Amino acid sequence: MTVELIVVSLFVVLAVAGGVMAARSRQILYNIIGLGISLFGIAGLFLQLGSPFVAAMQLLIYIGGIVVAIVFAMMLSMPMAIDPPARSLPKTIFAAIGSGLFLAGLVGLLNNTTFETRPTAGDEAWAVSRIGNALLEHYNLVFEALSVVLLLAIIGAILIARRDRTPA
Amino acid sequence: MTLEMYLLLSAVLFSLGLFAALSQRNLIAVLIGVELMMNAASLNFMAFNRFSVTDPATGQVFVLIIIGLAAAEVAIFLSIILNLYRQRHTIDAESITELRR
Repeated sequence: MTVELIVVSLFVVLAVAGGVMAARSRQILYNIIGLGISLFGIAGLFLQLGSPFVAAMQLLIYIGGIVVAIVFAMMLSMPMAIDPPARSLPKTIFAAIGSGLFLAGLVGLLNNTTFETRPTAGDEAWAVSRIGNALLEHYNLVFEALSVVLLLAIIGAILIARRDRTPA
Repeated sequence: MTLEMYLLLSAVLFSLGLFAALSQRNLIAVLIGVELMMNAASLNFMAFNRFSVTDPATGQVFVLIIIGLAAAEVAIFLSIILNLYRQRHTIDAESITELRR
């Protein structure tokens, strides 16, 4: 029990610390590393919440795909040697006030709400095959729409980023 | 951990993402803030899925769809960033002011 508690709090610390690193740093590489750390912590929490499959997908798609794609964009766009421009102080202050107010609102909402909890379903309801059945039966339309969205995103990304071959 | 602790953690992560999206100047860092917010949302889905839903496949399907949509969004966003850098040689959010005349 205590070992489990230690592991869970480690994941929580990873998620929050990575988030702080991603939100505060001015060096874009540190932002990306912080995002990766935070995503890893959240994947661990998914594992703790009883879904190894979604945790694995989080690791594979988010950390293995999205973070690597962001690193590529960083390498293709930003010269690393140049010192990043400073953020103006009023902008940072207003952003902090805005997000702080948002956080206070959420915490107040949490304090004033009682959530109805139920005992979790048995082990066979958490099996990966149940997710596959749900995707292909009940959520069939969502699944197909997502595949169309991904196809459109790929085609659109190619169209937008294509180097113009005709001389201007 | 209880449901409320997960929700609190998710609120903290969402606020961090909001702060990043509001305060950063680099467009890639703004994208990172949006990603943090999406992850806070999926953590919420998984927490409710664990503690207050009878069929746990529902929340997991939601989170998988969020991950897929995030992948599509990142592809579009990064191609826009590349195109912008090719034309303007900057991805600073404060120097792209063509519409502010």
